[in-house]
Amino acid sequence: MIKRAQIVLISVLLLLNSCITQFIPKTSEDKEILVVEGLITDQPAMSSVKLSKSLPLGGKSAAKTLSGCLITVSDDLGSIVNFTESSPGTYTPPGSFTGASGRFYTLHIKSNSFQTGFNYESFPVEMKAVPPIDSVYYEKKTIVESDNYNQKQEGCQIFVNTHDPSDNCKFFRWEYTETWKFILPYPVKNKACWVSSNSDIINIKSTSVLGDDKISRYPLNFVSNLSDRLRVKYSILVNQYSLNEDEYLYWEKLQNISEQVGGLYDIIPSSVPSNMFSFADPNEKVLGYFSVSAITSKRIFIRDFFEGTVTPYTDELCVADTIPGLGPIQNLNYSVWILSQSSIPPPPYTVTTHEKGCSDCTVRGTNVKPDFWLDDK
Amino acid sequence: MKFKTQFLFYLILSISVNLGAQEKYRISTNYKGVPFDDFVSAVESALPVKFFYLDEWVKDMKLGDYADCTSLTCIMDNLFKGTSLYYYIDNSGNVVITNNYAVKVNANPSESDNKYLPPTEYSGSVENQRIEANTTVEIGNPAEKNKPGNVVITGYITNKVTKEPVSGVTVFIQKLSAGTISNEYGFYTLTLPRGVHLLQYSFVGMKEKIVGLNLYGAGDLNVDMIDVLIPLKETVISAQKSITLRRFEVGAEKINITSFKLLPTSMGESDIIKSVLLIPGVQSVGEGSAGFNVRGGSADQNLILLYGAPVYNSSHFFGFFSAVNTDIIKDATLYKGGIPSRYGGRISSVLDIGSKEGNRKEFAGNAGISPITTHLSVEGPIIKDTLTYILTARTTYSNWIFGMIKDPALHKSRASFYDLNGKMTWSPDKNNKIDFSAYTSHDAFRFNSDTTYRYNNNIFALKWRHFFNSRFFSSFSLNNSSYNYDISSKYLATEAFVLSHRIYSTGFKADFNWFLGRNEINFGLDLTRYAVSPGSYLPYNDSSLVIPHTIRKEHALEGALYVDDKFQLTDFLSVNAGIRMSSYFSFGPQTVMLYNPEFSKSKSTVTDSLNFNPGQISSKYAGPEFRVSFNFRISDKNSFKINYNRTRQYIHLLSNSTSIAPTDIWKLSDYYLKPQIGDQVAAGFYEMLFRNSFEASAEVYYKEIRNMLDFKGGTNLIMDENIEKDVVNMKGKAYGLELVLKKTEGKIRYSLGYTYSRTFIKSLGTFSDEVINSGKWFPANFDKPNDLVVTFNYLFSRRLSFSSNYTWSTGRPITYPIATYIVSDKLLVTYSDRNEYRIPDYSRLDLSLRISGNLKSHRIAHPFWTFSVYNVLGRQNVYSIYFKKSGQVVNGFMLSVFGRAIPSVTFSFDF
Repeated sequence: MIKRAQIVLISVLLLLNSCITQFIPKTSEDKEILVVEGLITDQPAMSSVKLSKSLPLGGKSAAKTLSGCLITVSDDLGSIVNFTESSPGTYTPPGSFTGASGRFYTLHIKSNSFQTGFNYESFPVEMKAVPPIDSVYYEKKTIVESDNYNQKQEGCQIFVNTHDPSDNCKFFRWEYTETWKFILPYPVKNKACWVSSNSDIINIKSTSVLGDDKISRYPLNFVSNLSDRLRVKYSILVNQYSLNEDEYLYWEKLQNISEQVGGLYDIIPSSVPSNMFSFADPNEKVLGYFSVSAITSKRIFIRDFFEGTVTPYTDELCVADTIPGLGPIQNLNYSVWILSQSSIPPPPYTVTTHEKGCSDCTVRGTNVKPDFWLDDK
Repeated sequence: MKFKTQFLFYLILSISVNLGAQEKYRISTNYKGVPFDDFVSAVESALPVKFFYLDEWVKDMKLGDYADCTSLTCIMDNLFKGTSLYYYIDNSGNVVITNNYAVKVNANPSESDNKYLPPTEYSGSVENQRIEANTTVEIGNPAEKNKPGNVVITGYITNKVTKEPVSGVTVFIQKLSAGTISNEYGFYTLTLPRGVHLLQYSFVGMKEKIVGLNLYGAGDLNVDMIDVLIPLKETVISAQKSITLRRFEVGAEKINITSFKLLPTSMGESDIIKSVLLIPGVQSVGEGSAGFNVRGGSADQNLILLYGAPVYNSSHFFGFFSAVNTDIIKDATLYKGGIPSRYGGRISSVLDIGSKEGNRKEFAGNAGISPITTHLSVEGPIIKDTLTYILTARTTYSNWIFGMIKDPALHKSRASFYDLNGKMTWSPDKNNKIDFSAYTSHDAFRFNSDTTYRYNNNIFALKWRHFFNSRFFSSFSLNNSSYNYDISSKYLATEAFVLSHRIYSTGFKADFNWFLGRNEINFGLDLTRYAVSPGSYLPYNDSSLVIPHTIRKEHALEGALYVDDKFQLTDFLSVNAGIRMSSYFSFGPQTVMLYNPEFSKSKSTVTDSLNFNPGQISSKYAGPEFRVSFNFRISDKNSFKINYNRTRQYIHLLSNSTSIAPTDIWKLSDYYLKPQIGDQVAAGFYEMLFRNSFEASAEVYYKEIRNMLDFKGGTNLIMDENIEKDVVNMKGKAYGLELVLKKTEGKIRYSLGYTYSRTFIKSLGTFSDEVINSGKWFPANFDKPNDLVVTFNYLFSRRLSFSSNYTWSTGRPITYPIATYIVSDKLLVTYSDRNEYRIPDYSRLDLSLRISGNLKSHRIAHPFWTFSVYNVLGRQNVYSIYFKKSGQVVNGFMLSVFGRAIPSVTFSFDF
């Protein structure tokens, strides 16, 4: 809502010969902390609990999942649902399970196998009903105006509108999945693919300070022209989550401290407390949150022309060599791939690449058209 | 050296001429039985003399038979014997008669009296000292010279040019190792045995004055002192010699404007807060941070007084400039400890900024220009000697820099400030002085044209000083200080808002000073009424859907009664004992939430609420604050001091960032927020070395602070109606050693200051979200153990001076990210224990050269140039370390504000 003075300050300082150097902080900690990513929703097959351990800073290794735990969720009516481990570290309820608005849910995590006292529980969390998304729409936004030196560049700002006539849901969170089609500019077999990406920033909004329980023009996602998302066709699926106030504050705190920290005017960082706690040691730090949300969704497609979009598949990046003849080629399909071959007009030649992704779109995406994808008529 | 000889020569010469002059007034006529008036007429026609007196004093006075007398002085001596009248004759033959007290300049004492030395002998009487008497004065009736016992002399010390009182002047008698310091009215009092004394009047930035005194009885001795920089005739800036030996307070530092104007500047501006930062025990969290930390206290624990009123935001432009213009500052005193009982309300320090009064004699002014700011001040009399004014203004024109930047975001950004000061002083007679002062400062900055920040300080103060008699003074003041900010954003038309916060205080203070024998008693009353608007969030315009929301105003009254007594217990021990009874009441209308005590306070644990009606007291706190100092004078070269003080603070600045930000919120103590209480014990040893040309001191302190505030992780404090649910109660402790060595005389002067200090805090909460670092002690944000400050000045000539300072300190503590984790595809970061790591050490060297254009006094304007280089070594001092996510990796960045040397040129002139 309110940007801290930091941004301005840094800008002012930039004028004053400031300089920024990158460094890797040397920290000695290698504690592993339990991370809980729990979600109970009112939609089938969307509830799950994922358990993992935190990763040391700078480590690029995949999350260390935590298998072999006993997960149950109870509600305020006394019913208990047992979760089963569907893949390492991911626990899911029976397929028929959905949460209901107005119920309070509590998550229980236990394990007998690797540690005594491994016993965690959440505070009871209420599921709030969520209104449907009114609209998801976009506007072209000029990034750079064209002038003598620059070509015009445009991005795409995507907005969400919603309102709750019942005035019940005051705290919203959105997650989105972007899917876009891309086509390799070479005559290869797997030429057209779809690729997806999930939102990686926190999108939350409270209407508690607004007169109407109405959100208009919430700037959900800005698609820059510095990717190929907007070149062919783009789709975004927006999931709208209802939050209770505690969870809203949890995400807000995360947002406050994770956007940028360490400056003089930034909030002093500290770990944001979870709604999970350990029975053995109430002071033990637990990361993550047990979320209970109702969900509504909306998908839109964008097929439009945006100035200055780029593609990663340029000749400069892809083409390694143009060799006469049609083969044989050393290390083929090992470190060299064929982009195109031609025998007309003679002499025949072969264009090769060192980037497999340039010759096969399935390296980056899938060539199976997603179910929801609508082709243009 | 050459200068000194000349001076001595001049002195001797002037005295001998003077003596000759006195002998000249020979009278052979016997005026027996002649009325005084007729005698005066006769003498004035016969001799080149002129008498000044009031008729009522000499009514009915007739001359006796002074047959033995052959000179005017002899007749006058005999005539006034046994009366309350005194006289003196100056070089030009003016015979000035005074009633009740005598000030005889260059008098010729009776030759028969060998207990009283003739003035000429003073010059050589103190060996190996740069002491010569400029003047010799007699006080009292010579006939009383053999009476037993001590007598009290009192007087005012004024600036010769501006006629303003000079406070903080040391009056020292080397032979007796006795002395005192002038108070805020420039008044001083000394109890001395009858006899011959040599009084040294010294104050940093002013020419030292030495007065020979033949003391016969009680009387007044008023002294004029000359500013060193204004006449530019004297190249030696006198030391603050022996001040440290005499002051009662451990850790009080007086800063004179002339001395800090010599310091190198960062952006062409001399700056009061920057000079305060050179004092050992004072630190800041980083370049460009608003506020400063004194002996382990947070920045809101400093009481900054201008015109006797608190300044709530002491900086412009994120702390790169002080909010108080140097042109209005006469002097400033920083109390790091030993805070006198007349000050209260903040627990760590008091920075009392003394402001200038307008020139009583003539119009004068000063103007300056640097690449970023410009300033102008004018002053003068409206009615000569009675009514004066001074006006100063300063502004920046940094906006043109933004305009020149091509980056579209910065191109539309703006940052500007200005401040204005004005003061009128009316001195209807010598016992009354009334002044009215006003101050306003304004800052505005805007980033990328959609969010605008603005903040303002405003102060009005009325002060009446009344002197009942020469032993009893009073001052009454009424002041009003306010600070407010607003943030407005119109990024989204439907959510355009204005957010504002305001603190408003009205203070009344009655202060009395009573000199009673060896006691200096100070007592008074201090009342402050606060009104705080914690926040209001309003729609920016009609198209905005924002619901107007205003958090209810807070009201409170702080009151204190205080008394302290400075007294000389024995010749070597003086004591200052004081008590300040402070109390605080917050009152309604107010609603206080009650929480389930089994859980941490949060919105969901509210059980009930309490309503307080308008005027109903919702919380009250009171307690005594003891302030005690002992000063042991071991010899005339060294002293040992020890003190204890307790301080209570009822208003708090809520800040969950490392430095004070302009958008932090002032909060009054309430039902939940208890006053902060500080206790400090400090001891110091002070010594003058090498014929008093060096001053060395060592001070140690230990301090405990209760009820400090910290905040639960990630809390946003803006528009928070129930702050108690986000607050963590903390306890603090700090200790340190401060070592200083100063050379304060000569063409080359320098000082070395080293501080070792630690500051730790710990959380006292019991619920998991109230516990920071498992409830263990951890270093505070401004814990910088090692701090070295070196300053060096070289005065080449009257026109050219060079100065430099070097600072090195340990980097401040910081909290690092230590691990990452992923929740719903978001890379999140978890942090180390609070303040577990540190940023790299800080080191900086600044240089400055000041050249006066022309010293001819008849020139209309006196121009001077100041060339400064800030951070000469170009060291990239880390201002902050921050972390940014890029993709699935967290990167650390170090930002240096002044990554290389910053030169600046300032052109100023006095007119």
